[in-house]
Amino acid sequence: MSKPDKYVGIHNDVNGGMTTIGKLIRDAWVFGVLPETEDCEGWNLAGIDALLQKVNAEWDKYGCMVSHLPQELFERHQRIHGEWLEKARASGWSGEAETDDEVN
Amino acid sequence: MAVKSYSAGVKEYRETYWMPEYTPKDTDILACFKVTPQPGVPREEVAAAVAAESSTGTWTTVWTDLLTDLDYYKGRAYAIEDVPGDDTCFYAFVAYPIDLFEEGSVVNVLTSLVGNVFGFKALRALRLEDIRFPVAYVMTCNGPPQGIQVERDILNKYGRPMLGCTIKPKLGLSAKNYGRACYEGLRGGLDFTKDDENVNSQPFMRWRHRFDFVMEAILKAEAETGERKGHYLNVTAPTSDEMMRRAEYAKEIGAPIIMHDYLTGGLSANTQLAQWCQDNGMLLHIHRAMHAVLDRNPHHGIHFRVLTKILRLSGGDHLHSGTVVGKLEGDREATLGWIDIMRDSYVKEDRSRGIFFDQDWGSMPGVIPVASGGIHVWHMPALVSIFGDDSVLQFGGGTLGHPWGNAAGAAANRVAVEACVEARNQGRELEKEGKDILTTAAAHSPELKIAMETWKEIKFEFDTVDKLDVKHK
Repeated sequence: MSKPDKYVGIHNDVNGGMTTIGKLIRDAWVFGVLPETEDCEGWNLAGIDALLQKVNAEWDKYGCMVSHLPQELFERHQRIHGEWLEKARASGWSGEAETDDEVN
Repeated sequence: MAVKSYSAGVKEYRETYWMPEYTPKDTDILACFKVTPQPGVPREEVAAAVAAESSTGTWTTVWTDLLTDLDYYKGRAYAIEDVPGDDTCFYAFVAYPIDLFEEGSVVNVLTSLVGNVFGFKALRALRLEDIRFPVAYVMTCNGPPQGIQVERDILNKYGRPMLGCTIKPKLGLSAKNYGRACYEGLRGGLDFTKDDENVNSQPFMRWRHRFDFVMEAILKAEAETGERKGHYLNVTAPTSDEMMRRAEYAKEIGAPIIMHDYLTGGLSANTQLAQWCQDNGMLLHIHRAMHAVLDRNPHHGIHFRVLTKILRLSGGDHLHSGTVVGKLEGDREATLGWIDIMRDSYVKEDRSRGIFFDQDWGSMPGVIPVASGGIHVWHMPALVSIFGDDSVLQFGGGTLGHPWGNAAGAAANRVAVEACVEARNQGRELEKEGKDILTTAAAHSPELKIAMETWKEIKFEFDTVDKLDVKHK
């Protein structure tokens, strides 16, 4: 199977967007790095990686911790991530999928 | 046509190796085998054959009997017992004189005890259930490089289980982004992150590149949290020379802990690495990849409690133990048995935990059990209750799978473990009151609250394949 060279966009992503890239895009919306209308459909890997570096720089200001975010950002984070969590659950995602393939 | 049954050859084994009157010496190495014989072969003969073929059986070409003291060096089958609930097999107990083995060499012990004998034609199957190492032999082995107390002192972490997380290459990470994932986990509250067991030095991430970025992550997380942090840098390599080169580099850049796959990497390499770690003040995390090949079949192979003893003697500060709770295989009583074998200085025979012999470890330090895989915050109360403080609780998907990301997953686990420890210290019953303890803690931790919502519906109801024999009835 050939590897896709473009991202499908968070709205079309697997697991209702509950993926590493999906989480990155939601964080980018929280910090205003991307407008909430941008779902990154058609972006290539370099674009996603550049976005990751920007979002990491934002998180570094707050020690990567949601509970360290200032009130306004915290509320924005709750809203955006909360909506997508509901959406992901509705699409059939559950936390169980995250530990499915662990054998140690 | 008559069926050709087993034939011992010139002389039956039991004439030489079945000695029910023998009283094992304190210095003997004792072994308990679960033996499934070929039909029609008497138990005593098979037990004697196992004793012979795992000791001096291959030495007995006629004239050399005169040059070596066979009577001194031979293994002695001294007892036979029924296996509860299974008439197809029986336990055979064999005593070996300590001088049959090279000092400090678990390699030599295993080469005899689980060597050619496992292909012996009088047997349909054979499993090494337990070994008693006499303290005289234990003291010839190097053992864990640092041990539990020294590790706590090095890391300045006391009074709670430590937390870890395996960073998965399935995330498709470059070394730089891999280091970032480590940083986020450590910054969020983990004590350790970990290389996957099969991450060595593949083209997608060469070892030196990975080590550099991970060390940068450790230093950043330490600076921001004021805590010591570590990452199990996997130094498993195609040759022991290369393994040592990677270990030396890890030390050079200041890493406190490295990692080895002790079964696939090999016991000679492991012992060498453990001795080097001891000499160089490094901690050694041990992964058990391949163990299920050896220990999962209830009739054939090597029980994990034996592999545990072998690792403690060969050397390692951490060893994956199974979780008891969660998705992965592990009978509770049997797991508690080998956790004792890892940590305690003296372990009594206890058949209810599958322990066949008293085991005196002398002054040899203990190994920290690592509960890893298929667990998440809801398991925390049970994990703290079962494993106690001297353990590493390792949440992979239970950290990285947090909907808010790695740092949030780590923070959720850290808040949960601290809440459980505090409740336990106040006399509360963790497994009964777990929900209440976690819910109260989540009131001031949004990360834990989301983690509890993410995983709350999960139920794990897999049965174990390898149960204790007492449970087969």
